[in-house]
Amino acid sequence: MTSRLMFRVLGALVAFTVLARIPVGFDVGFKFDAALAVIWAFGLLSLVLLTGYVGQISLCQATFAGVGAYTAGMMVSSLHVDYLVAVIAGVVVAFALGVIVGLPALRLRGITLAIVTLGIALVFDRYIFQDHAFEWFTGGTAGWRVGQATMFGVRMDSSAHLMAAYLVLLALFCLVALLLVNLHESGAGRRFRAIRDSELAAATMGVNLTRYKLLAFGMSAAIAGMGGAFYPLVAGSVSPQPFWLFTSLQFAAIAVLMGVRYVPAAALGGAFMAFVPDVLTRYGHGTFMGHAYEISYDWFQIAVGVLLIVQLITLPDGVWGDLRSRVHHAWSAVGAVGGRKVKVA
Amino acid sequence: MAAFAAYTIIGLSLGGIFSLAALGIVLIYRTTGVLNFAHGAMGMFSTFIAWQVFYGWSHPFWPGWLSTFLAVLAGLIFAAGMGLFLEFAVFRWVRSREPVVKAVITIGVLLALQSAASLIWKNNQYHLPIYLAPQQWVWVVPVADVPIGANSVAIIVVALALAFGLGAFLRYTSFGRAMRAVSDSPTSASLWGVPVGKVGAVSWMLGSLVAALAAILITPFINFDTTSLTLLIIDALAAALIGGLVSLPLTVLGGFILGLLETYPTIWIQSIGFPRLVALVVILAVLIVRNPRGFSVAAK
Repeated sequence: MTSRLMFRVLGALVAFTVLARIPVGFDVGFKFDAALAVIWAFGLLSLVLLTGYVGQISLCQATFAGVGAYTAGMMVSSLHVDYLVAVIAGVVVAFALGVIVGLPALRLRGITLAIVTLGIALVFDRYIFQDHAFEWFTGGTAGWRVGQATMFGVRMDSSAHLMAAYLVLLALFCLVALLLVNLHESGAGRRFRAIRDSELAAATMGVNLTRYKLLAFGMSAAIAGMGGAFYPLVAGSVSPQPFWLFTSLQFAAIAVLMGVRYVPAAALGGAFMAFVPDVLTRYGHGTFMGHAYEISYDWFQIAVGVLLIVQLITLPDGVWGDLRSRVHHAWSAVGAVGGRKVKVA
Repeated sequence: MAAFAAYTIIGLSLGGIFSLAALGIVLIYRTTGVLNFAHGAMGMFSTFIAWQVFYGWSHPFWPGWLSTFLAVLAGLIFAAGMGLFLEFAVFRWVRSREPVVKAVITIGVLLALQSAASLIWKNNQYHLPIYLAPQQWVWVVPVADVPIGANSVAIIVVALALAFGLGAFLRYTSFGRAMRAVSDSPTSASLWGVPVGKVGAVSWMLGSLVAALAAILITPFINFDTTSLTLLIIDALAAALIGGLVSLPLTVLGGFILGLLETYPTIWIQSIGFPRLVALVVILAVLIVRNPRGFSVAAK
């Protein structure tokens, strides 16, 4: 084990222990938000892989999460399997869908790929998740209800066991995030980044474009689906609304806003996406200087849109990328104060 | 047979709307290199301004045509202002960036506009449509015995007129020539003294106007709420792709074809979502059959 890998494993363990303790004192609503934050963070992490590493655009990540959620919901509600099996099934189905979505991506890139994935997100949102022709998959208008669910023999369903589900989610997230950080410098990661920089050059150097692009789409969909597969467990049921087109667009916007090339930015974005709307609806009303005001959920999406525009004009590397480079600058400045050799960037 | 003819009329009106929306997308994409995902949202917001004037602020004693005229005028003025604002506040600053970055910025515009509208006008479906022509104006074609509403005719006429009007504007006026020059090469155009900034501003204004017109015209045909008009974008993009994101006549033709393709299956399949699948299949077919690299030509 190299020292770098040890450092990363240690970082993931510290992150897990700290984040696992944080929601303990929260009420049920915020505990739900904490679990939801990890689910959304999985969706954003899938974009770190697909857009940050491989340079492919996708506007249908929430669709992958939704497919994972519906598959898991169907497995638990109709077959009453252990929830672990349901999650695995959700991940597998999402992976398969990702590979299928990746097929047109073999010929497309940039904005044309964005159009196609937007179309896919819309078809799933308006047709497959809502039409009665697909009731066998979506469980009808009521959706699948998760009554009693166990994982490793531990009860996980309902709000009473929310923390158990959160811990499992968080552990999985830290594991996948660690794997993604390590992927960056691995052989597959180098091939992914070669595809991002220039598909033509990558193909010339012997990278199998078909295999690695499909793999990237499949893996990305599987990551989004893994988060989504926990949704029925955390929320108690599945409905189309959390996985509609605008969630996909929010994923893309928040991933870019936080810094699409950085794994920790996904966790930051997930927390942003889950907590801010709830805080707004809970505390965003009252009176100010005699006038009653109410800040609703809609303000969150307005803020996301405006922040995205401002960020793309001023800080192209995202919030996390900007913070990172500032910390690096400060660090080298500290080094300079100590009389050490000043590195010229 | 009568059903078939009736569906053809519906399909053609729908196609006219798609053409109108797609024309704005093509116009903006050609001259500024921005693929505008917020096109539907921009049209939606302007339509709600018109709706507010028509149902909220118009006086009950005004004649119907005056309310309609004022409402549409307010919507269009707002649309032009919004187009100009977006150009000056946002897209002027990212002119040299990659097309993908500009497209992602329009997603930000979409999210902000969509939530702002649902904040102001609430996210429900009670909104009454705006009829450009009175609803009771209906003609019956003697042969096929099909009723044709004046609103359908208005949409088809406006779509065709705008397509040919915009085409003529781009081809025969000096400003149109300037716009085409910028779309071919902004650098060379600016060296020849073409005011690139002004061309960008006018393109955004025109594109936004066309988006507003399309969205106002569509209100009698769909459940008119904040999301349905925003989601019109996918049909408009499909029509624009048929025209290769460049050709105005092919875009209009594509819009009509898509309108018919989306309407005929509803004879047999009662599903709100199915037309979206048709649009996706059309998009995939066009992108796979045509050489996708051809689409990057206009994007500088």
